[in-house]
Amino acid sequence: MAGVTGEQHGPGPVITTAGLTKHYGAVHALTDLTVQVGSGVTGLVGANGAGKSTLIKILLGLLEPTGGQASVLGHDIEHAGQEIRRVVGYMPEHDCLPPDVSASDFTVHMARMSGLGASAARERAADVLRHVGLDEERYRPMGGYSTGMKQRAKLAQALAHDPQLVFLDEPTNGLDPAARNDMLRLVQRIGSEFGIAVLVTSHLLGELEQVSDHVIVLDGGHLLRSSATGDFLQQTGSLLVEVVGTETERDRLGEALARLGLTCRPRGAMVAIDPPPPELAAEGVAHDLIRDVAAELGLGLMRLQPDRRHLEDVFLDGGARV
Amino acid sequence: MSEVSQPGGRPGVIHDLGYRHYDGVREGTATIARTLFVTGLRHAYGLGRSGKSKVMPFLLLGMSVLPALIVVGVVVLTGLSSLPVAYADYTNQTQLLVSLFAAAQAPVLFSRDLRHRSIVLYLARPLAAPVFALVRWLSLTVAVWLFMSVPTLLLYVGAMLAGLDKSDQTTSLLKAVVLQVLLAMLIAGITGLISSVSLRRGFAVVGSVMALIVLTGVITAVQAISADQDADAASTTVGLLSPWSLYSGLANAWDAGIDTFVPVDGAWPLAYALVAVLLVATCLLGLVARFRKVGSR
Repeated sequence: MAGVTGEQHGPGPVITTAGLTKHYGAVHALTDLTVQVGSGVTGLVGANGAGKSTLIKILLGLLEPTGGQASVLGHDIEHAGQEIRRVVGYMPEHDCLPPDVSASDFTVHMARMSGLGASAARERAADVLRHVGLDEERYRPMGGYSTGMKQRAKLAQALAHDPQLVFLDEPTNGLDPAARNDMLRLVQRIGSEFGIAVLVTSHLLGELEQVSDHVIVLDGGHLLRSSATGDFLQQTGSLLVEVVGTETERDRLGEALARLGLTCRPRGAMVAIDPPPPELAAEGVAHDLIRDVAAELGLGLMRLQPDRRHLEDVFLDGGARV
Repeated sequence: MSEVSQPGGRPGVIHDLGYRHYDGVREGTATIARTLFVTGLRHAYGLGRSGKSKVMPFLLLGMSVLPALIVVGVVVLTGLSSLPVAYADYTNQTQLLVSLFAAAQAPVLFSRDLRHRSIVLYLARPLAAPVFALVRWLSLTVAVWLFMSVPTLLLYVGAMLAGLDKSDQTTSLLKAVVLQVLLAMLIAGITGLISSVSLRRGFAVVGSVMALIVLTGVITAVQAISADQDADAASTTVGLLSPWSLYSGLANAWDAGIDTFVPVDGAWPLAYALVAVLLVATCLLGLVARFRKVGSR
């Protein structure tokens, strides 16, 4: 019996790929993907068919790449698939739960299949089921679960053996907004509080914006962009201002600011101000000006904030490939 | 969801231990495979599953044990000088029950993981697809073998109680056990492969019944007719085509107490053994290919 004790992975990249390529005949699922993933939560974004699931399956050793190399937690995917699967958790996109087994029994069994002993598996299963939020229903057959409960059970089995890295493939699929938020909070906790590196996929950019430290964007099997979430959401230099009242008040403010040399346009109930001209660009000058104008006009300032880009803009920019 | 202490807020409530890492022993592949084997074997008899799923296997087992009990009673009470049925032949006589058991239980081990796609969760863990397929097959093989060996052992105990010759009986029993193991490997391979391809339980059971019961019936009929027409070679050749005729042919050649229409002798026993081994190997290769394919989807 080859007993191996759990060891924590040191600093450094959790996943490294170099020129990773996967072709199914004429279909190019992944093309020359070179990317690094660190600890914390990493979002993998792309439309359906962008190659997200293919990448995860290659990293797990379930699919063989057509070309290129990759390593996960310092293990090469070609030679050390078993070592990788020992310390990695996987939550697939599709349904994968037998309907006639309870989440509790299933999670225990899956923990044992990862090499935990019987009593350790029971303890871990109880722990992770509590963390994912399955209470009394964990003892019922999973066939009767709602989509939200099924997603939680799938997540529990992925965490049952205390992996160092989890692949979560579309964990929010099919969830209502409340359950979606719960799941995203959970994903964030796994990355921060649990200290487990997370690679989470989604085709909804807005979701990953909330929880990821780092975002990788795939498009048609190509790497579109890979950078820290903060870089995606960089400030554009524009400002958003909102005042108490209706459109009349909004327009009064906009016109007054325009007379002072700021380019303004209405956006919903707010005034969007383009990056100020050089003479007003110094730190806080524009802010002071807006405050003073609002005071002069007797308008109540409700909001004055930087206008930040959203992840969607990465795509709207036209997607120059890296 | 559990309460979590907020940074700078009040500390977590007392029952909240937060996330705890596991730093105990992680077993190697061999231990994981053994766990999977034992679970599979238990599931084949409905143990660790719902009460309903225990009915079929134990009903069939009861039906196959009952005649053995009667035989034992008769032998012990009347003091017969030999068992009225040889060990290997008892399995042959109850072949319908053995086939039904395998056909009904193979989908439990081979269809469920594929149909519900939980196979992906297994393959994302240390055991590789070939090992997984082999362990599943081993579970079913041992389950089928146990099904055959329980009445056989009962007969042996009865023979001992009746004071029959120990060395004769033991030799005969051991021959039967070897043949049963080979038969169990064949039956588990065939029903396993059928169940892994036809994922609906109903189709899998019907397919296995066709392969084990209907086919064997046809082959027995053909064997009888050709023997009747003095086409001995044809009769023996046809016997290569079904696990049950392979079993009885080998038992006949080995003098294990089964009568075939035409004695299996000369080079035939070797051909029978070879075909049996090839059939098992083919089924195993098919199973491995099947699990690997589904796992990568």
